Amino acid sequence: MVPTAAQQTIRFTLNGKPVEARILPHHNLVEMLQDFGLFGARESCGQGLCGCCTVLVNGNAVSGCLYLAAFIDGADVVTVEHLASAGTLSPVQEAFLETGAFQCGFCTPGFVLMVHQLLDRNPEPTEEDIRHYLSGNLCRCASYREIIQAVRSAAEKRKSCATG
Amino acid sequence: MMPFEIAEPRSLREAIGLLGRDDPSVRPIAGGTALMLMMKAGVFRPTRLVSLRSIEPAFARTTLGAEGELRIGALASLSSLEHSQAVLNGAPVIAKALRTLSNVRVRNVATVGGHLAHADPHMDLPPVLIALGARVSVLGPSCDRLIPVENLFAGYYETVLARDELIAELIVPPQGGRRAAYLKCTTRSADDWPALGVAVALDTDGTAVHEARIVISAATHKPTRPVAAEAILRDGISDAVLRRAGAAAAEEAGVISDTHGSAAYKRQLVRVYVERAVRAALAIPTGKQRRA
Amino acid sequence: MKTTTKETSQVGRSIPRLEAREKVTGRAEYIHNMRLPGMLYGKIFRSTLAHGRIRSIDVSAAAAVAGVHRVITAEDVKTVIPDPYYGPVFHDQPILAMDKVRHVGEPVAVVLASDPHVAEQAAQLIAADYEELPAVFDEVAATGSPVIVHEVLRPAGMFPDFKDLAGRKNTNLHLDFKLRRGDVETAFAAADHVFEHTFHTRQIMHTPLEPIVSLAESTDSSVTLYTASQMPSVVRMEIARLLAWPENRVRVRTAFLGGGFGAKTYIKVEALVTVCSLLTHLPVKISLTMEEQFYTITKHANTLRLKSGVTKDGRITSRLCEVWWNGGAYADIGPRLTQKSGFTAAGPYDIENVHIDSYAVYTNLPPAAGLRGFGIPTLTWAYESHTDLIARALNIDPLEFRRRNLLREGRPQATGTIMKDAAIDAVLERLAERMDWHAPFDRGSGVIRRGRGIAIGFKASISNTTSVAIVNACGDGSCSVYCNTVDMGQGSDTALAQIAAEALNIPAETIKVIHADTDVTPYDMGTLGSRSTFHMGQAVKLAAEDARDKLLALAAELGLPPETTPIAQIFRKKFGMQAGNVVGIGTFNPKSTQPDHATGLAENITPFWMIGGTGAEVEVDTETGHVRVTRLVNIADVGTPINPGIVDSQLSGAAMMQFGCTMSEGMEFDAGQVTNASLADYKIPGIRDMPDQIINEVVEARQDTGPYGAKGVGETGTFGVSPAITNAIHDAVGVRLTRLPVTPEAVYRALRAANNDALEEE
Repeated sequence: MVPTAAQQTIRFTLNGKPVEARILPHHNLVEMLQDFGLFGARESCGQGLCGCCTVLVNGNAVSGCLYLAAFIDGADVVTVEHLASAGTLSPVQEAFLETGAFQCGFCTPGFVLMVHQLLDRNPEPTEEDIRHYLSGNLCRCASYREIIQAVRSAAEKRKSCATG
Repeated sequence: MMPFEIAEPRSLREAIGLLGRDDPSVRPIAGGTALMLMMKAGVFRPTRLVSLRSIEPAFARTTLGAEGELRIGALASLSSLEHSQAVLNGAPVIAKALRTLSNVRVRNVATVGGHLAHADPHMDLPPVLIALGARVSVLGPSCDRLIPVENLFAGYYETVLARDELIAELIVPPQGGRRAAYLKCTTRSADDWPALGVAVALDTDGTAVHEARIVISAATHKPTRPVAAEAILRDGISDAVLRRAGAAAAEEAGVISDTHGSAAYKRQLVRVYVERAVRAALAIPTGKQRRA
Repeated sequence: MKTTTKETSQVGRSIPRLEAREKVTGRAEYIHNMRLPGMLYGKIFRSTLAHGRIRSIDVSAAAAVAGVHRVITAEDVKTVIPDPYYGPVFHDQPILAMDKVRHVGEPVAVVLASDPHVAEQAAQLIAADYEELPAVFDEVAATGSPVIVHEVLRPAGMFPDFKDLAGRKNTNLHLDFKLRRGDVETAFAAADHVFEHTFHTRQIMHTPLEPIVSLAESTDSSVTLYTASQMPSVVRMEIARLLAWPENRVRVRTAFLGGGFGAKTYIKVEALVTVCSLLTHLPVKISLTMEEQFYTITKHANTLRLKSGVTKDGRITSRLCEVWWNGGAYADIGPRLTQKSGFTAAGPYDIENVHIDSYAVYTNLPPAAGLRGFGIPTLTWAYESHTDLIARALNIDPLEFRRRNLLREGRPQATGTIMKDAAIDAVLERLAERMDWHAPFDRGSGVIRRGRGIAIGFKASISNTTSVAIVNACGDGSCSVYCNTVDMGQGSDTALAQIAAEALNIPAETIKVIHADTDVTPYDMGTLGSRSTFHMGQAVKLAAEDARDKLLALAAELGLPPETTPIAQIFRKKFGMQAGNVVGIGTFNPKSTQPDHATGLAENITPFWMIGGTGAEVEVDTETGHVRVTRLVNIADVGTPINPGIVDSQLSGAAMMQFGCTMSEGMEFDAGQVTNASLADYKIPGIRDMPDQIINEVVEARQDTGPYGAKGVGETGTFGVSPAITNAIHDAVGVRLTRLPVTPEAVYRALRAANNDALEEE
C-alpha cells in the first residue's frame, strides 16, 4: 500500500519576499522551489554530493535535495535567482562570466552560491581554502581551474566594492 | 519517497515520549542529511518522523564547562563546531577534523547528535572523540545515562541506544596538554568517505608517553582501539616503536574489505597511517612531504 | 554591406559564451526544468536479472495505487509500434523488454502518474517472473560462449556498410573490423625484438550532471519531443521510422544540455516517452536518476592485446592489435566505434606492417557506446603504454623513440590514407618543450617518488556525415543561425556565432543561435565526435556567405554601395520600411571513403585528424600507492581556434574527464548488477583531485578544409592522459599498471609484486 499524505501550509521568506506554500511532508526543497518557477537549484546526484541543488537557508548553504520542504517553515530562503534580481550580476556571477568558469552550466548556480558563502565567511581565501570549500561541488565539464580563478577575481571585485 | 507524518515536539522530553520503544518506522530527525539518503534509497520508510528542530535551543549550544570540558548540545550543527572558539581552544583536533568531514552543506545541516547516532563507521568525529575520551549524555523515558563514545557503537550502523533514547549532549574533556591528530585516508577521490580514519591522542613528555589512545575507524565495523599498539607507544617514541605500533594496530584492528579496498591493503594503510598520525600529533617530520 | 561596430576579426576572439548570463543566474533553459500542463511522470520498472526469459509481468498492484494513471508494458507498446526495436546499427533494443531481459536495469514496464513519488512507489509494486538464463559478462569469453545475447542480428540500414551482417546467427560477435597492411608475421620473424602486452579497462559512466531526460506530447497525428539529446535530427528520423510516420510529423526540440559526452546520443528514453504519450494522450516526462544512468549508457570495457616487432635501433616494423569491446546487451553505436576507432589502434606511428582485429561483442551488461573520444582514449592508453614499455626495454628515451617512429605529414596511415593537416610532430615537440623534457628532473626521495611520462594520440573524424544550416537576416540587420547543433557545454552556440559573424562582418554577440527545433532547424547528423566546429561550422559559414552574397546582390540591384551599406538600410530601401528577410543556406558533406571490408584500407578515411598529446608529472607514495598528478600538460592540434578561451577550457575539461577514467572511475558488477551506481561510490574528479597545475597549448596549425582553418576539439584533450599518467608512474617507481583505473591499491599491489612480496588477496 502506498499511504496518502495530508498537505500542509508553510510560510517563509523566499528571495526577500514573504510567501506561502502548500507542501507534502515527503517533498524536498528543490521540488518546492520548482512550484515557484525557480529551477536554478536542480537535483542531479540526489545525494548531496554534487552541489547542483545548493540553496541558502537562513544564510547557510544546504543541499536542497536532502532538505525536507516542511523544515523551511519560518526560514529565510535565497536561491541563485535572487543574486541578480536587481538586474545587475553579483561580483561572483560577474567573475564566473568573465573567467568562463563553466561549460554546460548545470552545476554553476551551486558553485556561485557556495562561492558567495565562502567569500562572506572568508573574504581572502587561499587556493587551498577554495579547494576545501568547494570539494562538495562537482563539475563534470571540469571547469575547476577557471572556477578557482573566478573565486580570486570575485574576491578582488568584492574588496574593491567594499573599499570603493 | 513515501508520505509520512512529521511531529514537532517543543522539548527533548516530549520528543522522547513521541518515539516509543517498539516501532522501527518512527525515528527522530534533526539535520536529516543521513536519514534523507536512507529514505530516498527506500531503505527506511517512516510512518512518523519526530523532528528535533523545535526543541529547547539550549541543546544546540556549545559551552565550556567548569572543568574546562566542552559541552556540546546534540543539536549543534557540525559547522557551528567547526567555527566555535570554544572548540578551537579546547579541542583543536575536532575543528581540524571537521574541515574535511563530508562537505560544507552537510556540515551546515547535520548535527552532532545525529552524526553519532547514525553510527556509520565512516564518520570522522567518532574516532577523534573516542581518542579524547568524550562521553554522551543520553536521555530516555525512564532513566538518563552517560555513555563513553567508545561504548556507544554496537556494530555496523548500530548503537547501544534504545529507540526512545536520545543523545542530549556531548561532553569532551579538555585536550589540555595532550597532543592529538586525526588523519583521513581516501582511496577513490579526495572528497570520498574515508577508507581509513586514524585518531590519536597522546599524553607525552618529550619522547616519553604517559598515555596513548589510538582509534581506527572506517576500515572496521565500528571505531576500534588497538590497545596493543597503544601499549607499544608507551615504550617511548622512536622510529622503531612507531613501526611496531603501526604493525600491531594493523594486526589487531579487525580490518574488513569493502569498496574502498581489500582488507590486506587497508591493513597496510593502518600500518602507515598509525605511524603518520602519531608523527602528525607530535609534529615529527615524516619521509613524506606533507601536502595540505 | 557594412555594419556598425565590428573592430576586429570575429574568429580568434575569446569572447564569453553568448549564454553566459543565463548560466550564472540559473536561468538557462534545460529540458530538466520543463513541465507541461497535465503532464505525467514515468517511472521505469527495471530488470533485476542479467539474462532471463520473461514468463509474466504482474502490474496489478501498481495499477491499483491511487494516483497511478496507467502502467505500460511491451504489450501496450506493440499496439502503437508493432516492431518496437531501435538502434543505429542494429534494431536490437526493444522500447520495453520483450520476451527476454538482457541486462540488469533493462526497462520492463513504466508507471505513469501525475505525482512522481506515486509513480516511483507504484513501480516498486510490479512483479516480474523470469526463467533465469546463464549470462555472459566478459568480452573475450563472450566471443566463444554458448550463451547468446541476441539470437539473430538485424542491421539497421542507417550505415550501408553493415548490411552484410544481416541474418548472422548465434554469435555475440556483432562486428569484426579487420585491417591488414603488409605481413606482420614475416616482420615479427625478422625483427630484432618482439614485445607483447595486454591491457584492460572497465566500464565507465558518462555522468552528465543533467541526467537523461525526455518529454513527449502528442496528438493523433503528431508528436513533439522535448529531449536532452545531442542528435535531434536522428531522434526525429528514428521516432518517425518506429511510428511509420513521415519525418515532418515528429518535432524534436532541445535546450542547453547539462553535459552530454556521448550519453545523450541516438535513442535513450525518447521512444518510451513517445509511446507513453500516444497511449495516454497526455504529455509524459521521464527523468532518469543518476543511478538509472548507469544502466542506460556507458563506455566500453576493453581487453587490448598489442604485439610489436622492433629493430635494434628502435624502428617499429610491425604491430598487431587485437581489441575486444564489451558492448553490453545492446549495440547502440558500438559497432561503428569498433570500426571507426579500430583502424587507429596501432597509434600515430609509421609502421610498415599492421594487423588489426577489432571486435564488438554483446554481453549481459548495460549497453556501451562512445564517451568523449569514441574509444580513442582507450586505444591510446594501450598503444602508448606499449610504446613506452618498448622504449624502456630498449633503453631509448621515450620521446626519442616516438620521434623515430612518428607518422609524419605526407606518409600513409595504417589504412593507407595519406596524412594531411595533422600536426603530430608539432604536438610531440611542443609537449617535450612544455614538459622541459631535457631539463634535470627531481625524482623525489624517501617514500615519495616522482616520475613523468608523455603520450600522444590521434583520431579520425566521423566521416560521410552532413550538416545543414540556415542564416536569416532580419529587417533591422540582426541575424540568427538555425541549426541542429546542440550546445551541451562545448560552446557551439558561441563558436558558430563567431563563424557566421566573420562571414557577415558583424559582431558575434549580436547573432542569435536558434536551438534545435526540427520543425524549423535543418538536418544535422549530430553533436558528437568533435564534428560540429568543422562540419556545422562549415555549413554555417556557407549559409552566412550565401546570405551575405544575396544581401550584396540586393544592395547592388538597389543601387546602394554594396560594401558599405548597413543591412537594415538595404531592407529599408527594398521594402520601404523595416521588413523582410534574407535567408542563406549552407550544406556541408565532406566526402571520404569507407574502409575496404577485407583489408580495412581506404584512401581517404577522414575529413580531418585530431591530434592530442599529454604529459604528466606524478608523485607516488610508495607506502600506500597514492598517486598525485602534480602537473598535466595538454598539447593539441585544433587547427586555428575559433575561440581560444573556450578551446582552452575544452582541453582541460576533456583531460580531467579522462583523468577520472584513469584514476578512479570504473563500474563494478555483481552478477551484472552495478555495485557502485551512485556518486557516493563512483567517484568522478572533484576540485581537490585536480592536478596542482594544468597547462594547455594549441600548436600553430591550420585545417585547410575547415571553417577559417578550424577543426574539432571536444575530445582531443582526452587522448594522451591515461598513458601519460601510467608512463609517469612507471618512471617514478618502476611498475607498470595494465588495468584502469589506477587505484592506490592497484599501485601498491604492483609495488609489492615487483618486490617479490605480493600482498595477499584479502
